[in-house]
Amino acid sequence: MICYNCGCRLSEQDFCTGCGADVSLYKKVIYLSNRLYNDGLDKASVRDLSGAIASLKESIKLNKNNIDARNLLGLVYFEMGEAVSALGEWVISQNLRPKKNIANDYIDMIQKNQARLDGINQTIKKYNQALAYCWQDSQDLAVIQLKKVLSNNPKYVRAHQLLALLYMNTEEWEKARRELQKCEQIDTGNTTTQRYLKEVTHMLTPEENQKGSTKKKASSDEIIRYQSGNETIIQPVNAAEKKGVSSLLNLGIGLVIGIGIACFLILPARIQKAKADINNDLRAVSEQSDAKTATIDEQEQKIKSLTDENTQLTSQLAALEGTDGALQATDGLMMAVNAYLTDPEDIETIAGYMEAMEPDENGEEEVKHSNSYETLRKQFLTLVSEKLAAYYYGLGNDSYRNGDYEAAIPNLQRAFTYDNTNADALFYLGNCYRENGDDDKAKEIYAQVMDDFPGTDRASRSETYLAEINNQN
Amino acid sequence: MIDFEEELKKFHPSLEVEDAAEAIYGQDLTDVADILIQMVEKAKEKTETEEE
Repeated sequence: MICYNCGCRLSEQDFCTGCGADVSLYKKVIYLSNRLYNDGLDKASVRDLSGAIASLKESIKLNKNNIDARNLLGLVYFEMGEAVSALGEWVISQNLRPKKNIANDYIDMIQKNQARLDGINQTIKKYNQALAYCWQDSQDLAVIQLKKVLSNNPKYVRAHQLLALLYMNTEEWEKARRELQKCEQIDTGNTTTQRYLKEVTHMLTPEENQKGSTKKKASSDEIIRYQSGNETIIQPVNAAEKKGVSSLLNLGIGLVIGIGIACFLILPARIQKAKADINNDLRAVSEQSDAKTATIDEQEQKIKSLTDENTQLTSQLAALEGTDGALQATDGLMMAVNAYLTDPEDIETIAGYMEAMEPDENGEEEVKHSNSYETLRKQFLTLVSEKLAAYYYGLGNDSYRNGDYEAAIPNLQRAFTYDNTNADALFYLGNCYRENGDDDKAKEIYAQVMDDFPGTDRASRSETYLAEINNQN
Repeated sequence: MIDFEEELKKFHPSLEVEDAAEAIYGQDLTDVADILIQMVEKAKEKTETEEE
């Protein structure tokens, strides 16, 4: 402690040993300031920040040069979210003692981090804006703004308190209590917080209060007083009986209200929900059904195309492997050629193989053969057709002479096929058909004889027979 | 029962950073020690005047 008059360090005496000034009162003031600082420090250490502020303010009112008290006041302000007030205290502290002052570090810490300083300023602005909203009766906006403030600075006690007050005004007691509890965690001794919390607690536990009041009311209702002359008659009321009746009545009313709520509020909602569920299920089932129908259609198309393909392939296979197919024909030709190579004079065997190669008479379409097959066949026929024609003509002629026209027809046909200059074969074939009663075929053959062999005896005889047939019809 | 309007009046806008300098300069830093010193000085002057 130094003398206010000369700046000398003071001793235990009540006067300055340097200038002799009376410092007894001055010392008391300084001691009181220090005591208040200690009090503030104690309170701050147990988080009674409001109490600490009060003590520290008093301390620096007594002695503005109490740097520790001022710095601590700044620190407490900062802890409560009042950053500008804190800065103010630290700046004054810095001016009073520029060197060896922890306030320098605090100020540097804030000023060096520009983003933090901007954040603090924005938070304060938002708080002020929220307060303005409250004054403008826009409490919803104020709540939103305060929530933003607290998300940026969760230790802003005044913002918590204002938010709690707004919640209390809208009777959101639980929310208000939560905010106030947060306040209490930051500043345990705040009287505003305590007052609000008391109110909120009172509102959140109305039963006990109401019970107390109802009991009192009941006790006052239990007796009936009336005046009879100069006497006051007090008549007790049978409370038990009344209570039972009223309980039953209340129970009945409760049941009616419950049923009413169930019928008019819950039931329609349930029905609506059930309908919605059914519709959703139906829609899902329809969608599945559509998807399955589409799949079935697709599969049917596939089956159809595969069936067609199968038919085509079957017919191709039949064409390749059937009794009249190319394979058999090829085999027949090979066998015939082999027989010819083995014994060229064995016409009967060759004829047998050639007959196997003949197309079916059932009218099935003729199988197309390869060029090599046709070439081989033609070359082979040039070698054997004359002998085959003679062989078949011999067989057909014999059958014709013996009257076996049925057997003669195919042989004569083959004879004419292998030798189309054989007029006799064709003429006898016509005769066979005529004798067999197949006049149409006979007429056709006779006409062919007349066309292919005009001016011959066979042609004139064919003309005669043709005329006879026509006359018969 | 808490009166919302009355309670609201107790809340004041916070000082913004821009206003901090003004607030600091405008602060009356006179303390009890200053007042005491002034009182002592005045008393001393009075004594000296009376002696003269």
